[in-house]
Amino acid sequence: MVEANSLLLIPVLLPLAVGFGLLFLPARLGMVSRMLTLIISGVCFILSVVIFTREPSVYAWSILRLPEQFGGFKLDLMLSAKPLGTFMLVFAMGFGLLISLYSLRSVGRGTARVNEYFGALLLTIGGSAGILLSNHLLFLLIFWEIVTVSLYLLIATGGRNSNFAATKSFAMIGASDAAFMLGVFLVWGLSNTFTISDVSLATTSAMPIIAFLLLMTAAITKAGALPMHTWLPTSGESAPASVMALLPAAIDKLLGIYLLIVITQGIFDLNSAALTTLLSVIGSATVIIAVMIAMVQHNLKKLLSYHAVSQVGYMILGIATGTGVGIAGGVFHMLNNAIYKCCLFLCGGAVEQEAGTPELDRLGGLGKRMPITFATCLIAALSISGIPPLNGFVSKWMIYQGVIQMGAEQGGAAARLWPVWLTCAMFASALTLASFVKLIHSVFLSRLPDGLERVKEVSVLQTLPMVILAALCVFFGVFYHVPLKTFIYPALGVEPALSTWGSGVATILIVVGIGLGILIWTIGRFSKNVRVVPTWNCGEIQPSEAMRIPGTHFYKTVSQMGGLKQLYEGQEKGYFDSYQQGGRCALVLTAFLRWLHSGVLPMYLTWVTLGLLIVLFVVCGIW
Amino acid sequence: MSEQLMNILFWVLVVPGTVVLGLVASWIVRKVSALVQWRVGPPLLQPAYDVMKLMGKEILVPQEAQRIVFLAAPLVGLVGVLLLSIMLWRITLSQTAFMGDIIVAIYLMVLPSLALILGSSGSGSPHAAVGTGREMKLVMAYELPLILAFVVVIIKAAGSVGPGGQLSLAAIAQQTPALSLSGMLAFLAALLCVQAKLGFVPFDIAEAETELGSGVLMEYSGALLAVWKLMQAVMLVALPLFLGMVFLGGFHATLPAPGHVPFFAAALLVLAGARLLANRSKLMDVLSLLVFIGLCIWVGLGKYVLIVVLLILIKNTNPRVRIDQAMRFFWVYCGGALAAAVVLASIGYWWDIRWL
Repeated sequence: MVEANSLLLIPVLLPLAVGFGLLFLPARLGMVSRMLTLIISGVCFILSVVIFTREPSVYAWSILRLPEQFGGFKLDLMLSAKPLGTFMLVFAMGFGLLISLYSLRSVGRGTARVNEYFGALLLTIGGSAGILLSNHLLFLLIFWEIVTVSLYLLIATGGRNSNFAATKSFAMIGASDAAFMLGVFLVWGLSNTFTISDVSLATTSAMPIIAFLLLMTAAITKAGALPMHTWLPTSGESAPASVMALLPAAIDKLLGIYLLIVITQGIFDLNSAALTTLLSVIGSATVIIAVMIAMVQHNLKKLLSYHAVSQVGYMILGIATGTGVGIAGGVFHMLNNAIYKCCLFLCGGAVEQEAGTPELDRLGGLGKRMPITFATCLIAALSISGIPPLNGFVSKWMIYQGVIQMGAEQGGAAARLWPVWLTCAMFASALTLASFVKLIHSVFLSRLPDGLERVKEVSVLQTLPMVILAALCVFFGVFYHVPLKTFIYPALGVEPALSTWGSGVATILIVVGIGLGILIWTIGRFSKNVRVVPTWNCGEIQPSEAMRIPGTHFYKTVSQMGGLKQLYEGQEKGYFDSYQQGGRCALVLTAFLRWLHSGVLPMYLTWVTLGLLIVLFVVCGIW
Repeated sequence: MSEQLMNILFWVLVVPGTVVLGLVASWIVRKVSALVQWRVGPPLLQPAYDVMKLMGKEILVPQEAQRIVFLAAPLVGLVGVLLLSIMLWRITLSQTAFMGDIIVAIYLMVLPSLALILGSSGSGSPHAAVGTGREMKLVMAYELPLILAFVVVIIKAAGSVGPGGQLSLAAIAQQTPALSLSGMLAFLAALLCVQAKLGFVPFDIAEAETELGSGVLMEYSGALLAVWKLMQAVMLVALPLFLGMVFLGGFHATLPAPGHVPFFAAALLVLAGARLLANRSKLMDVLSLLVFIGLCIWVGLGKYVLIVVLLILIKNTNPRVRIDQAMRFFWVYCGGALAAAVVLASIGYWWDIRWL
């Protein structure tokens, strides 16, 4: 019997209650909501660490208990601290704390929606804590909805066009939530219980498979995988960067992948080759297609959003392999992705805040003006591109091993096609590097455009979260056994035979190499002085602006390539956007209904009479 | 010799040894190119002279440059490629390998290109910026066939060394994929990818002396340029070594047996004599080169020499292509051929047909 622990209730209810209160606070009290958010997110983070370090515990809070004569129905808020949930809780709360720190300075200069922002931030924190701790499918659904609504509120605090983006996100995630609800009820119908730890269904007949697909839809929409990803780039354009860093980059990934793990490893017994193949296809298509689109973006935040989509593919692919190292790699990648993508969005937000634009064309040379942002962004960018010895490399490396192992050990279509998955994943990694080279070049290197001479580094409150995240990228890369052994393996209950790639030796070698480099450097330095000269322009004298080459043109060769060009144009026009296509279908439907509603009274009378006749025929059974 | 001593000797010698070997290899490239073009070519120590001369020159830093990136990039590139070669030497000499090291090697191979890209991008020169874009596109282009070629090798390895060993380079080096149809295709494509990685002639698009004024390297001078040259020299060791291990069955480097030592010494004497007379007659020059290559083959580096000579011949018989041509070549033609090779290799694996 695991012990009951009322501590579990606090990180869920406290932020929810305070967050809800903050929504109604008058705008004058902005300072109060900032401080409250910071304090409460800090408290939640500390509590989550305490919960993580303690033994697994449960807590049931009775909400509704009908007397026997009314059927004895009872509803308990069942919380349980399992290793999978609690380790994600630590990170979700950590991201919440970092983002509230960052938001102290970044949000609300002159906007009237400060309290709404901070209230929704707390709602997100409480909702995600609820999801990660809940052991009851209905409450899981309710907390899931709370996070969806708070995402809507948060996106809407952005500037122009943010209402459209918020609506689109809400419509798409809301639709997937409806699927989630149906799935939950199907699971209840099949197993007669809402308690997650009691359910175990085999995916052999139609009903469980439908339930699985419904729940999977919810999971991958939240995480942002193809084909339900389009809310992410749209909101990336207009939502505040800190919102993107908190939800789509970090917490939504944690929650989506958490649900995917819960359904593939817990609720369902995934032994259907078709479903594994489906997951692999979704995974590798997401990886490669999203990164191809990301490569040609001209907007900093939109580019990052497409990468937030692309990285989900690796996680899904890792989970789809069904091998110990693959699943562990997928979950580790989720963690790593949350860290570096959060960092990247925060850097993007800092750049936008100081330079006043997220357009890559109008940025450049900011590395000198914002050195800390540049350094952290570079580390995170190299990390997402899988450059050893950073953390993104380790988890990708594990996923690749998982894919190859799947091909060697399992039968079935998914295992037979492993070269396809592997090639997609590894090639996408090169393309990721390409688009981040473009980003780094256009924003931080290259040349400073006219008009950005006054740009300064952002305040410590904003650089501190970035530095922490970048440091985590390095730490999780070099000492990758620490997070794997502390968080991932206990959470999944696996201990894959993962050999070391000797990151320790590699790090020593890099240090030795840098020492050697410094030696060469000093030889060069003391022989002659270093001289600063103007850039050589082959003798032409041109204004600096004419000599500035932003990276936006880099991959024109790709987007102009025969075959790819048409696809890119179709994507630009939204042909592959499930939201737009769904909207088009709805428009056709409304056009038909509008045509029916002609406003001519005799017409309506005719319809009514016809309908009445049909009802009569049916009721009387005349045929 | 005790194990410990060998280990220490390895760690002491590996970096200088690789650098020296790299300089010799870049001399071979220049010498053979010269012979192909009916020129005399440089003396053996010319690459070393070049590096030493550059070390002594002053370093010019452009005003617009992002200074730290500009200065650190060459060192990072050199360290990355040295790391790769240390890994390969360890596997060749002491069979120390780990699961999945082939993936680590593939990722380490990106480091030099990445360093070049960041360094040139940090220089603030418009010519270098154009070169940066081209270099990155080239990386993108050859990465796809390179990955597919390795997929072929991994499939082949699963057939011959069994599942589990297919991810470790030491086990992969036990087999010779190039002796099969798909393996041969993969080897040829990977050779072209290495050509592009080295920035050798049909694919020297990022440097493009005639139009970009050596593009990515445009603003580099003095010791920094010397580090780039060293990096390229070491790449000339590491990349063919890697190809040889993956496709041609690895290296079995041996010192000559005691009975053969006199012959070996005689060969060395002939080499020295021919080098001394090389200034007088072209015949002696060619002879010395041939003896040198023969010695390499004797100590088990024949495959390495084969790969380098192939690279040099491709380099000297082709004009530079445009970047869009290179991309289409790598993605459509190489990619298509290799997709077919992957299918062939899979069929061969399922039905156990070795030659496919």
